[in-house]
Amino acid sequence: MRIKDIVLIGMMSAIMVAVQVVLGFLPNIELVSLLIILYTLIFGRKAIYIIYVFVAVEGLVYGLGLWWFNYLYVWTVLFLITILLRKQHSPFLWAVVSGVFGLSFGALCSLPYFITSGVRSGFAYWIAGIPFDITHGISNFAIALVLFYPLYYMLDKINKRMEYM
Amino acid sequence: MRQNKNLLKSLIAFGLLALVVVIMLIAYYQFKPEGIKGSKEIVVEIAIPEEETKEFTLNTDAEFLRQALEEKDLIKGSESEFGLFITEVDGRVVDDTKQEWWCITKDGEDVFTGVDETPIADGDHFEITLTIGY
Repeated sequence: MRIKDIVLIGMMSAIMVAVQVVLGFLPNIELVSLLIILYTLIFGRKAIYIIYVFVAVEGLVYGLGLWWFNYLYVWTVLFLITILLRKQHSPFLWAVVSGVFGLSFGALCSLPYFITSGVRSGFAYWIAGIPFDITHGISNFAIALVLFYPLYYMLDKINKRMEYM
Repeated sequence: MRQNKNLLKSLIAFGLLALVVVIMLIAYYQFKPEGIKGSKEIVVEIAIPEEETKEFTLNTDAEFLRQALEEKDLIKGSESEFGLFITEVDGRVVDDTKQEWWCITKDGEDVFTGVDETPIADGDHFEITLTIGY
């Protein structure tokens, strides 16, 4: 790994942490999903390092809990979906992907409850969170629709400049 | 021609997204816990580390836990968009600086709803435990 890759990973994870903390007071409204999609499209495999630096810092900021173990796999799911669809460039399609991810966030986070407490508990956890998942899905969709192009342009420019350095 | 294909794909994707939202809403209203009318007797255990556990038997017509606890003036808190955030139980106020919070369980198992949406039934046993660490 080159020094500029390390710098890039550090910078991009810092942006993600900052954005998450600043928007933390708004429940289920976040930019992290869109940033992960963009980082994956523009920086490729480096995005996985960015994700795990982000998760580690989040653990340091908020303390370790069951939510942190969710974070260990949830964002990677989005990374893998983005990798599969990486040839698509339509902001609308990416807004839908981000929206679906937001809708499924609660289901993904309920997996530990299915394993530790059984099907009933896992299902109850998921059902209780549905209103929040819907907010999450709709906000992810709207945010991605509006910000995909401007952020893609900016991050792509940063990536190209770093490659020339 | 290619633009029309992309537009069609986008519309189908959006349609699927809307369908998933509708299905989730139906699932929520179908399976969410409902309150039970009528009088009931529940037991509430309040546990604070290094102190004796207190047990309260409540006779109530309330459908959800919040009302039952407030009738006996056992809880106080602040309103949030998730419902009441309990900060005080039986006079004991949490200390934010120590990351203290009140954890509600039923028969030792997690409840996944806030105190406003946790239904109660005759014979239920709840535990409210002072927990340290977020």
